[in-house]
Amino acid sequence: MLLLILCQWLESTRPAAALRSSVWMFDILETIHTLGIVLVAGTIMLVDLRLLGLGLKRVPVSHVVSRIVPWTLGGFCLMALTGCSLFSAEAVKLYNSPAFRMKLVFLSLAGLNALIFHRTIYRQATAWDSAPVAPVRARMAGLFSLILWIAIIAAGRAIAYGPGYDRS
Amino acid sequence: MIRQSLLPFFEWYAATPVGRVMSSSATLIAMAQIVHLIGLTLLVGTIMMMDLTLLGFGIKRHPAAQVASELAPWTLAGLAIMLLTGPLNLASEAMRCYDSSVFWIKMGLLAVAIVFHFTVHRRVAAAEPPVSRFQAGLVGCISLALWFGIALAAKFIGFYGEDLRQQAGLFY
Repeated sequence: MLLLILCQWLESTRPAAALRSSVWMFDILETIHTLGIVLVAGTIMLVDLRLLGLGLKRVPVSHVVSRIVPWTLGGFCLMALTGCSLFSAEAVKLYNSPAFRMKLVFLSLAGLNALIFHRTIYRQATAWDSAPVAPVRARMAGLFSLILWIAIIAAGRAIAYGPGYDRS
Repeated sequence: MIRQSLLPFFEWYAATPVGRVMSSSATLIAMAQIVHLIGLTLLVGTIMMMDLTLLGFGIKRHPAAQVASELAPWTLAGLAIMLLTGPLNLASEAMRCYDSSVFWIKMGLLAVAIVFHFTVHRRVAAAEPPVSRFQAGLVGCISLALWFGIALAAKFIGFYGEDLRQQAGLFY
């Protein structure tokens, strides 16, 4: 219940109310949030494909990570900023949305997966950096990440089909 | 002009079994949109990384041609997903799309982007020896602008059909 009270408070703040009543701001933020998928999930999928040995095989894993991940992090900041703003405008509706809850679970799992990958197998990356196919633990991390990001996109889109939305 | 001549096609398409099924089921519409979005991620994600590489912000220390040959199959896969699910999404609201000017802008940009991709972009990305930095950067910029322009237009089809434009007051 504490979460619901927090959501109610957030929604009632002045910036949230302003965003809700603005004709363009909400749509603009939502558009940036949607196009940002390419920057976050698109770049993550490239790293995942490399880990799985399905793409960029001739580029060492460390090059792929060091060149692509900065774009991912930048994209993620953009997504977090726009996402939190959008959330504030309709916090209670999203609190009650099963799709939104699932999205948060998938997001947490994706973060955990990335954390475990970077803290464990990626630490020894020098040993398998140039191998076209990464060790099984790295491949598993890539596969989980790919599945989770597809699930995040799906859950995000599904929010608009939940209660209280007219699918626009 | 092209738009008016295609009106019978849109009317026919909306009335086909595909159109009727797609417009009657929210679950099917949601699924088609989700797969379309995943295709977008793959298509524009790979193209964007290629463009960034052409601009010198992507994968360095590796010949762009090598990156291009590795990414190309995934770009094609993404395009295939988009071109398969796109008409399904269209079927769910064919007449609304017909009425939306933004939809036609998107289709126009899409035609230009596909031609640009298969003529200029792929050739420049795969060129060995690589083209000049200026040319590569220019091609990267045009490609980024085209694909993100299409994605932007796509987002606005739903928002601003002909009926909504007046009320939004953007174009009037």
